[in-house]
Amino acid sequence: MTDDFRTLFTLFPHALAAGVVISTTCAALGVFTILKRVVFVGITLSEVAACGIALGMAYHVKPFVGAFSLTLLAVILLSFPFESHRIPRDAVLGVIFVFTSALAVLVVSKSGFGLHEVKALIYGDLILTSNEDLNLILWVLVPVLFYFLAFIRPTLYTFLDREYAKTIGIRVARWELMYFFALGLTVSAASKVAGAILIFCYLVVNPATGLLLARRLKWVMLISVLGGLFSTIAGIFWSFRADIPTNQAISIMACFFLLSALAARFVHRLAANLKRRRKETL
Amino acid sequence: MSMEMGGGAPNRSIIAIDHLFVSYDKADILHDVSLEIPEGVFLPLVGPNGSGKTTLLRAILGLIKPRKGKIETALERSEFGYVPQNRAIDPLYPVTTRQILLMGLYPKTGPWRRLGNFEKERVHGVMEDLQLTEHADKTFGELSGGTKQKALIGRALVSDPQVLVLDEPTSDLDEKSGREVLGRLLNLSKNHGKTVLIAHHGVETVKHLATRLCLVKHGTVLLVDAEGMLGEQIP
Repeated sequence: MTDDFRTLFTLFPHALAAGVVISTTCAALGVFTILKRVVFVGITLSEVAACGIALGMAYHVKPFVGAFSLTLLAVILLSFPFESHRIPRDAVLGVIFVFTSALAVLVVSKSGFGLHEVKALIYGDLILTSNEDLNLILWVLVPVLFYFLAFIRPTLYTFLDREYAKTIGIRVARWELMYFFALGLTVSAASKVAGAILIFCYLVVNPATGLLLARRLKWVMLISVLGGLFSTIAGIFWSFRADIPTNQAISIMACFFLLSALAARFVHRLAANLKRRRKETL
Repeated sequence: MSMEMGGGAPNRSIIAIDHLFVSYDKADILHDVSLEIPEGVFLPLVGPNGSGKTTLLRAILGLIKPRKGKIETALERSEFGYVPQNRAIDPLYPVTTRQILLMGLYPKTGPWRRLGNFEKERVHGVMEDLQLTEHADKTFGELSGGTKQKALIGRALVSDPQVLVLDEPTSDLDEKSGREVLGRLLNLSKNHGKTVLIAHHGVETVKHLATRLCLVKHGTVLLVDAEGMLGEQIP
């Protein structure tokens, strides 16, 4: 097993490094996506980025440029305060999701690419991370993560109580836009190797585990990040040993970690209840 | 429409509302409201649900733009303390009562600055005053309705604001706790010179506390003597 790990680190250092950076950044940003109850933003932006990559491939533009341009448009649209309008944000997200998923497949089908390209576009493949992919991920995601952690206070206050935040001088529209912009950048840069499903998994499953296990924001974020790292390394290792697709193996690992957390929490509560009842009987 | 503090010379006006119209979806919520609010007054805004009390408070705070008219104040935005209804915060957020209170110090701390000793003592003092100390490390979602309300009041108080604007602050409190909170707010006005504007749906609990009441009905505002309201019912 140790030999397998050594081989894995030797053969796929780029995949491991990319997985670690993507899972960490997405886990941190994803906690706020769940708290703001806009989980659907994650999958929609992933689909928008995939559509951008497809357009980029079809028109010979760099995938990141295609993904980022389209994601930026979606982010600007999403930062509009839909709460006060007839169409809720979720419905707008749904429309964008349907349009971009369908457009991505149409563009690829007319571009002369085969089924393999379509699958790679939708599911990505972390194990095939190239040096160029890793550089892009490092140059984009690391600054995004530092920015997010540096300005976590105004972002949290904006999300926590928008109206009150306005009264204490926080420019809520700006912080909201910056958050979605950071999310858009992350998804755009990570989409090519991680694919829509794995990005959505990192944005939702690991943060959900954090929220399940911890009661303080810093611990929620830490568990979310650790869960992302654990599922990435375990998933890559599993896919390597069993010769199965890497991104799906990571996603299953993340869900397994979440279910384990759920079971641990259930057992903990059961034990606490039994203890209380025994005390009451005595 | 201007008001005086009971008996003495009028205090300087710190908020002047001049022919204010606020609309939502083309319907006027506030209709030609003019009001001068002096410094240090305890002013309950009473009226039935949907009469425009919350809209008036939000307009004073600058949260909504008037369609017509203006609101003038000599104060900075940071000198206002706002207590929204406790449904404003999603209980899903893993933030403690202490963190909720710290939010009120953001104008001083900004995105990065850590709390100084003075600010820590201020937070501690407010928590003790509002009997929140034992709940300091509980998350907002774990608190009862009344304690949530107290935490939001504490958040407004930590920055020591000149004007306190409260939207139904006793709606989730039992009668005794509600009276306690109102008494505390009255004390802030009487003994510390704070201006307290409080939206309240029931007149009975507040008419004994203030010299004047602001009746809000169908988007219009009327200042009345609280004594004259004794025994009367708000339509």
